[in-house]
Amino acid sequence: MESEIKTDNRFVVPIGPQHPALKEPGHFEFDVDGEVVTGASIRLGFVHRGIEKLAEQRNYIQDLYLFERICGICSHIHATAFAVAVEKLAGVVVPPRAQAIRTIVAELERIHSHMLWLGVAAHEGGFDTLFMYSWRDRETVMDLLETIAGNRVNYSANLIGGVKFDIDDSQRDAILRGIDFLDQRARYYLKVVESDETFLGRTRGVGKMTRGEAEILGAVGPTARASGVARDVRLEAPYIGYADYPVVLVLDDRGDLEARFSVRILELFESFRLIREILSRMPKGELSTRVPRRIPEGEIVLRVEAPRGELYYYVKSNGSEMPERVKVRTPSLCNWASVASLAVGHKLADMPMLLAGIDPCFSCNDRLVTLRRQDTAQTMTWEDLRQYGIQYYRGKRVCP
Amino acid sequence: MSLIHLLLFPGGLFLLLVGLLYQWLDRKLVARYQNRIGPRLFQPLADTVKLLAKEEIVPHGVHRGLFVILPVIGLASALTAALYVPMVGFAPAYSFNGDLIVTVYLLSVLTLALGLAGANTLDRFSLVGATRTLTQLFSYEAPFLLALLGPSLIVGTWQIGEINAYAAKNLWLIVTQPIGFVVALVGLMGKLELPPFDAPEAETEIVSGAMTEYSGRGYAIFRLGKDVELVIGLTLVAAFYLGGLSNPLEFILKTLAILLVMAGLQSLFARLRIDQTVGLWWRLGALLALIQLLIILVVKVAL
Repeated sequence: MESEIKTDNRFVVPIGPQHPALKEPGHFEFDVDGEVVTGASIRLGFVHRGIEKLAEQRNYIQDLYLFERICGICSHIHATAFAVAVEKLAGVVVPPRAQAIRTIVAELERIHSHMLWLGVAAHEGGFDTLFMYSWRDRETVMDLLETIAGNRVNYSANLIGGVKFDIDDSQRDAILRGIDFLDQRARYYLKVVESDETFLGRTRGVGKMTRGEAEILGAVGPTARASGVARDVRLEAPYIGYADYPVVLVLDDRGDLEARFSVRILELFESFRLIREILSRMPKGELSTRVPRRIPEGEIVLRVEAPRGELYYYVKSNGSEMPERVKVRTPSLCNWASVASLAVGHKLADMPMLLAGIDPCFSCNDRLVTLRRQDTAQTMTWEDLRQYGIQYYRGKRVCP
Repeated sequence: MSLIHLLLFPGGLFLLLVGLLYQWLDRKLVARYQNRIGPRLFQPLADTVKLLAKEEIVPHGVHRGLFVILPVIGLASALTAALYVPMVGFAPAYSFNGDLIVTVYLLSVLTLALGLAGANTLDRFSLVGATRTLTQLFSYEAPFLLALLGPSLIVGTWQIGEINAYAAKNLWLIVTQPIGFVVALVGLMGKLELPPFDAPEAETEIVSGAMTEYSGRGYAIFRLGKDVELVIGLTLVAAFYLGGLSNPLEFILKTLAILLVMAGLQSLFARLRIDQTVGLWWRLGALLALIQLLIILVVKVAL
């Protein structure tokens, strides 16, 4: 610490891996000149869990549960992406009622994710009242998910070939009631983020990203849509129920933090509308169909729209019970570049909100292992890493 | 007698307990405004006892003596300031012409100690926090002082006790000087680094600002100092603008009324960036306070 302050003129403010602003570990270094940020660097990978490798040692049904645990917030969409990919490989057709239920759960999940984000982002800007209110109201949607799935976080709605549970009439009424309440609350939040003077002082014109920049930096999801990029997998490549119940794109050209707030809140209304529509004309029929344990050889790329943006799955099957390779790319990974390039020129006080503005999810996107000692960076293969680990712990005398 | 004034009442032990009580009230009120349950009555005391019992870590690279003594200086000056204000509605323990200025500066010593404590360490969060603390000090201090100057101009004295006595007999000054009251109230919030003026200790940016490296005793003493300052600040504003404090009941009711408003303001806004804070104070706060002073002077001359 001492040397960094005294040897060169850079004054680096480190945020993370442990920092009150971060709920998950990540490391950010901001070079500051007074309060103004002159450089930013991001280092991730603290919570790499090796899930892709694990998936190769489990069969498809076990993998479904594994992928559901990639993200604690958007658990359903991960399982859906994997299930849909495997169903396509197996060539089975999933009953429409199951697809509709998947869509309802996906949209409920989007509501809960966006409301959670609203609270976190408000907290980063020091607006704790909005944080408390939005999380209080978020309980409504958590309760709805618990009502239909029995779980608040990992709903485990998917099977390969369908869904596990039905939505009966009383559950439908509960969902409609809950959504009416949330609709009214979301209107209030929209009013707050678009009219509160102090809040606008922290969001308006901050972190402005033009449409061109968003496209070059590869931004996805609400972050891209707030910059006017019309990109939504639900429309581009409809999956599960989105072909039957199309969504309306929410776009905003302003590109600043305020736009990211209003885009996400307006997406809530879109989710409410979609859920009401699906519930009003639910297809009848079976909930699941039989899928063979061995999936025919082949490979597939599947994209879905997670609450944070485009989620990418690649599944390769070798004809056995276990996948040959699964590759996951989560939306947060695509959005990091925008943070690093937008940070320069802003105030240090804007950094937490800028970071939160893309709705980052750290443990979902951590993947590559790089070791940085002094100025050397190296990439290790799985085997190298294993050897390194063995040697490391042998030196520590903790390994038997 | 003077020993009692210093150690028991109005300084010393009594003020520490009242400070903890008001900290609890403030936290509870903000919590209720935010639809939370909030802490229990003994929480601030429990926090303090816990912190006092903990190990105090002195980080590398600090001036050891300063690190230990700065919190004590801050708390001591805040406690001293209590001697000149009409605590609990009783006449000030000590009084002389000009004690208003001394009190205001004694209250600033805590902020100064905080800034120095932050600058004393090598921690980058502390350094940024110290810079912000001192920047904020320079922005609210002048308007706050000007806002307290209004009543003293009307009465024609620098003595807090006399202003208090005058306020009790005449029309509440909040009616004649509403601008001054608002500036004083918001200035007090800036002084105490309460939201939305909590940029100096914004936890999502710089962890705990100047206090980041403090743990255990030093941290407990700084917090106590702030609690004491809260009580004294409330007393000053109530004595000057809300018709004076002449008995304990008035003290409780009036300070609680201000605290209720302050807690509301705390939960109403998003945190201001430090540049926004400075801009607000110099563009708006100082200007308003000056206008208020001008009005008072003109009225005084005309009468």
